[in-house]
Amino acid sequence: MKKTLKYILGLAALVFVAYNSVYFKKLDAVRASAHKQFDASAYARKYYDTRLKPALKNAVEINQLLALARVDKEAAFNRHSHALGIGNIRYFLVQGTGEITGINENDVAVISKNDSTQSALKIATEFVFGNAIRDASGLINLNEFSSTADFNNVSAEVNKIVRNEVLPAFKSTAKKGDRVHFVGAIELNRQHLKLDDLEIIPVALNLIKDK
Amino acid sequence: MQALTLANAPKQLAKFQSLIALFFLCLVISLLSDKFLTVANGWNVLRQISVNICISTGMTLVVLTAGIDLSVGSVLALCGAVTAGLLKNGIELPSANLFIGFTVFGSIISGIVLGTLLGWFNGFTITRFKVPPFVATLAVLTIARGLTMLWTKGFPISGLGSNFAYVGTGWLLGIPVPVWISAVIVLLAHMLTRKTPLGRYIYAIGGNESAARLSGIRINRVKMSVYAIAGALAAIGGIIVTSRLDSAQPNAGITYELDAIAAVVIGGTSLSGGRGSILGTVLGAIIIGVLNNGLVLLNVSPFWQQVVKGLVILVAVIIDKANSKE
Repeated sequence: MKKTLKYILGLAALVFVAYNSVYFKKLDAVRASAHKQFDASAYARKYYDTRLKPALKNAVEINQLLALARVDKEAAFNRHSHALGIGNIRYFLVQGTGEITGINENDVAVISKNDSTQSALKIATEFVFGNAIRDASGLINLNEFSSTADFNNVSAEVNKIVRNEVLPAFKSTAKKGDRVHFVGAIELNRQHLKLDDLEIIPVALNLIKDK
Repeated sequence: MQALTLANAPKQLAKFQSLIALFFLCLVISLLSDKFLTVANGWNVLRQISVNICISTGMTLVVLTAGIDLSVGSVLALCGAVTAGLLKNGIELPSANLFIGFTVFGSIISGIVLGTLLGWFNGFTITRFKVPPFVATLAVLTIARGLTMLWTKGFPISGLGSNFAYVGTGWLLGIPVPVWISAVIVLLAHMLTRKTPLGRYIYAIGGNESAARLSGIRINRVKMSVYAIAGALAAIGGIIVTSRLDSAQPNAGITYELDAIAAVVIGGTSLSGGRGSILGTVLGAIIIGVLNNGLVLLNVSPFWQQVVKGLVILVAVIIDKANSKE
């Protein structure tokens, strides 16, 4: 009797747990109501054309940024950097004009100067990866996406646009001594600030014809 | 209780070595950082250690039987991922045109059941095939990590909803929910070890397995139960982590097993089994948590943090060995 009661109670508990654990639906109905598959490529295209490109003119001039970072690091980061997380790695959308001093396998060396500062920079021309471009503008919000995979795919697609549309034309015509106007993203570590030998992940590169 | 005299003072003090260590640790950190002794930081530390308390409670039971469970970090990751996956995506059965959705309750239960099964599998291979616990659980560590990658396809599973987030980030009666969960686990495990036959069997097996067998204790059954409990507690840890982050990370829980073992050892549980307590482990977990928190507040490099943690564990083991000889 005691054993039977134990089994009945156990079964009742199991039914209770199962009833409160799962629900059933027709798969067709679920699929029909589910969100359409996220098209990272289309999103990136629209973002690049309608949001990122118009924002490029607002990018901070690189020598101005570096000068500020040398005297007031916090101000430089607070005014000009963006990042998703709370870590020390932050991204800046920068622009400038410089003279090409070397064409390397993976990058182009540039000397950029304004009235008071001169900077030796590298513009990446081979490996355009990571989230620098996506995050430097601060225009995309993680909450717009239902998964981090979608969010990361946007980054990959934006990088692809740069690799396919910006770099080939530049690489085929740029030569030592040319002047270039560049806009791109740089990564700086707030804790361990290093302002030498910066690499710019380009967004736009225009050779200046008239010296 | 033995009176404290000059002759037995070292022995009496040794009983409270973890508590004394914690006291001095807190004293030193509070002198060096004004942010340490604040209510917000206290809750922060308790929330952070709640996952380690879950895992190390299970680890204590395993270590008391003279075993070890290296798989808890991977089990944590897999159970967290499965919980998140079931909650977010459910199960699709195209052949039956059926979608099985899981409630928050259902997905949590599924994660815990999976953890229990993985733990039981550890116990099964150890007892049935006489595989050393180190090797058996190392194998499950790898298997569970691989299954996590397969289940998640290498991507985090995010956006799990506010109801699920309550488990890891909510407050109940002014106390964070993860702290409540770990407190209940500690209480149950303490009662298990002190008030139930299973608890006595665990100590007996760790103290002398042959003697325990001769006295009629069903060694295999007890060991399988202990590993199953450790798996279930790792799963609960995984659910808390997933809920806190609102995301199941495929690489969650890496090296968590080492933190759990550290908490167990620092808490005074002997790695050779048969001696130790759940409350000691809680103290060990608090020491590890306070140490981690203090090193961060003092702006110590993460690389040095690992060195310091390693040294603390080493000292704890040396003290344990010295106590064992006495």
